[in-house]
Amino acid sequence: MTKRRMFLRMITASLLRRRSRMLIALLSIGIGATILAGLVTIYVDVPRQMGAQFRSYGANMILQPTEAGALTEESLQDILSVFSPEELVGATPYRYVRLDMTSRQQSFNTAGTDFSQVVKTSPYFSVEGAYPASTREVLVGKEVAETIGVKPGSTMELTYQPSVSISNNPQDDRTPGAQLSGSAEGWSGGIVYVSAVLDDQAKIASIQIDAHSQTPEFGGRATEDEEFAAQFIGKALPLTLGQEVDALSGATVTSTAVVDALNNARKATPAALPHTLNFTVTGILTTGGKEEGFAFISLADMESLTGESKLDVAELSISANAEQLDTYVNEITEKNQGVAAKLAKRVAKSEAAVLSKLQALVFLVTAVVLLLTMICVSTTMMAVVSERRREIGLRKALGASDGSIRAEFLGEGMFLGGLGGIMGALLGFVFAQVVSVNVFGSSITFQPLLLPITVIVSMIIAAVSCLLPIKRAVAIDPALVLKGE
Amino acid sequence: MLFRMIRGVLFHQKGKMLLIAFTIALGASLATGMLNVMLDVGDKVNKELKNYGANITVKPKDSSLMSEIYDVGDGAELNAAYLREDELGKLKTIFWAFNIVDFTPFLDTQVTLTNGDSVKMTGAWFNHHLDLPTGESLDAGIVGMRSWWDVTEGKWLDEKDENAISEIMVGAALAQQMGWKAGDTVHLIASQGDKDVQIAGIFDAGGDEDEQIYSVLDLVQALTDRENRVSSIEVSALTTPDNELARRAARNPAALSSRDYETWYCTAYVSAICYQIQEVITGSVASAVRQVAESEGTILDKTQLLMILITALSLIGSALGISNLVTASVMERSQEIGLLKAIGARDASITGVVMTEILITALVGFGVGYGMGFGFAQLIGRSVFGAAIEMNPNVIPIVAGLIFLVTMAGSMPAIRMVLRLRPAEVLHGGH
Repeated sequence: MTKRRMFLRMITASLLRRRSRMLIALLSIGIGATILAGLVTIYVDVPRQMGAQFRSYGANMILQPTEAGALTEESLQDILSVFSPEELVGATPYRYVRLDMTSRQQSFNTAGTDFSQVVKTSPYFSVEGAYPASTREVLVGKEVAETIGVKPGSTMELTYQPSVSISNNPQDDRTPGAQLSGSAEGWSGGIVYVSAVLDDQAKIASIQIDAHSQTPEFGGRATEDEEFAAQFIGKALPLTLGQEVDALSGATVTSTAVVDALNNARKATPAALPHTLNFTVTGILTTGGKEEGFAFISLADMESLTGESKLDVAELSISANAEQLDTYVNEITEKNQGVAAKLAKRVAKSEAAVLSKLQALVFLVTAVVLLLTMICVSTTMMAVVSERRREIGLRKALGASDGSIRAEFLGEGMFLGGLGGIMGALLGFVFAQVVSVNVFGSSITFQPLLLPITVIVSMIIAAVSCLLPIKRAVAIDPALVLKGE
Repeated sequence: MLFRMIRGVLFHQKGKMLLIAFTIALGASLATGMLNVMLDVGDKVNKELKNYGANITVKPKDSSLMSEIYDVGDGAELNAAYLREDELGKLKTIFWAFNIVDFTPFLDTQVTLTNGDSVKMTGAWFNHHLDLPTGESLDAGIVGMRSWWDVTEGKWLDEKDENAISEIMVGAALAQQMGWKAGDTVHLIASQGDKDVQIAGIFDAGGDEDEQIYSVLDLVQALTDRENRVSSIEVSALTTPDNELARRAARNPAALSSRDYETWYCTAYVSAICYQIQEVITGSVASAVRQVAESEGTILDKTQLLMILITALSLIGSALGISNLVTASVMERSQEIGLLKAIGARDASITGVVMTEILITALVGFGVGYGMGFGFAQLIGRSVFGAAIEMNPNVIPIVAGLIFLVTMAGSMPAIRMVLRLRPAEVLHGGH
């Protein structure tokens, strides 16, 4: 007990009395520990921080519906739930459709999208003016803008012309060119059936009337009468009896039923008609890429124009490394039938290549700096300890054993190491935080494990650098040391 | 006498002086290594970022948009505008020629396969050998500019091979659909001719290219009778991140004042390089691919800033370490200084002797340290970027000045403090 108290007293006395020298030793250990803690914190956090910077290249994953499947805004939200909010930088839905600008006789690809996400997944988009903030606003690519001559503030009329291919599928009556068929109640409850084929202007190209349920001499004639049928050709729906078309004489009720049947058929296929909306140009988009040949509108407007709410593709920007991305791709493709996830190889692969280089760079720099700093710290410690050779000699002359001298000096060194380590760990974190805020504009994650590691490493370095000079001092004859040789 | 004293210290107290010289050498090597890496890291990372592909595209002025927006297929290629292939070498004659890393021309067409399917075929340079008027020569083409392509079967088409003109590379999706394998022979029918070609390799690009055929430029030119014509050029250039001046210049270079114009023209901004390309390629419009150009700027800035801060930390660390040790070594010699004072030496001469000793030690340490720092910089350069780090001559005076200041700052206050003590006390061993 008394021995231990003596030991403690010797250590504290030496530390207190030789303040300036101990301060030097403490300072040097503190610097070493600061650099250790600071650089390791940065090294551990750099991949995350740098990864976030690389997201400025835009989307690195793409979701597409498979041939049989479909992608909607709801199913997209479902899929996105596999990502943690920190990893998912943004997810932009796109619906591509070709729209006409009838007044300029031009047509161009138009994307329906969510602009709040575009800003996140395509940060390199440069907009002169502003992004559309509400519906009926359009962002126009630079090349399109030059062709049609619009500026921010101009208005333009966009028309959706449904596709004109003739479908053999009788169910598919939404496209013009396909058959429309409808029915309406005629004379005394008999049903009149009408079918028509629309041309690519969505005007009636041919018509067939089935009025066999009507009185043959009156309404029934509508089935055969070519003159009655001919007046429908080239007319656009809806029709009003007595205006665009005249009634078959003596068969007003049947004629009304024919017109009603056509109008009913049209109502059942609203998408089959061209749809026009007025837009205000809010901005001109410059990217240097294909996007300049597109116009961008909101998904809501796209839905109003086309009458459909499906998505063609979703671009995802995910802050994760190459293996994690692969895992996500597999997970999404397995879990969601009908949606295929693909990596944007150019972005994902290049990012992995560059990021690994940067990580290696920071690793090597950290290693070199740490190695040199630690050697620097130990040389200072060695200088401080070897200065006390006389003291060691004196103690030895007084009868202290080599072991007790060694223990005392080691204890002193480790105490300094521990103190310097705690100081350094805190200062190092402050430094890492300053770097992170300045370089990446976000705060760094504190590594709790680093505090004990820094303290232990500092103690070991202090102890090791004490050992060598003590060993030398102890080995020498006390008489020689005291004489000062 | 002075020299004798100094020599005495340097040779008799070898151990101590070696320790100081060693520490200074460590500090100097750290400073040298880090400063050189920091100054060169921009260039090195910039080269790595070339992985992302071209950052400038060059298109003919007149119809730079038509076919891209309006999907005009057949016949349109007859009256479209073109650039001239023989002008491509001029890219390496512009002011920033040295910054142009790679470039390749493209020309595409639709070809019909034997089963009647129509497929897009693109002609490009692969590893095209170019002898420049300046006497230099280089290999340019998509082998370097499509680093993300995986050649899943066969190999990259080699333009140095004599059969290159009758070889193609096929996208993975198309190859799978058609059941083609590397080595198969395919018959292609184009607008102005047809040819049997062999599949050199199949690539997976993860994009639209997977459904296309790629061949050497000459083949597409021959099949469509468009000698010496190219429809676009992709250029990969090392650039300086844009600043406010560059953004103003990009909008309209003519609006700049002549001094700003000079600064802009003589800085490797992507807009300045685009402008210079337009000057040498007839009838062209060069524009920056913002996805690549903008992101490169961000990443480059961040990496450089990170390196600057790490360098600053290690400089401060080594400076404190050195001055610490120097202070310790001066204080250790308090007895000797006290003795000198006791036998009548003036303060100034004592300071002179001690400082000279320490500065000579520092000089030796600096010399060794610079050599070690060179080694560290090369170690980092070789193992990370596979290329030597360029040693900047400005680093020598910076490090030398730093070491000088640090040694002075470490020793002067200590010497003064020791001198202030009374010799009797010091010699007695008290404080």
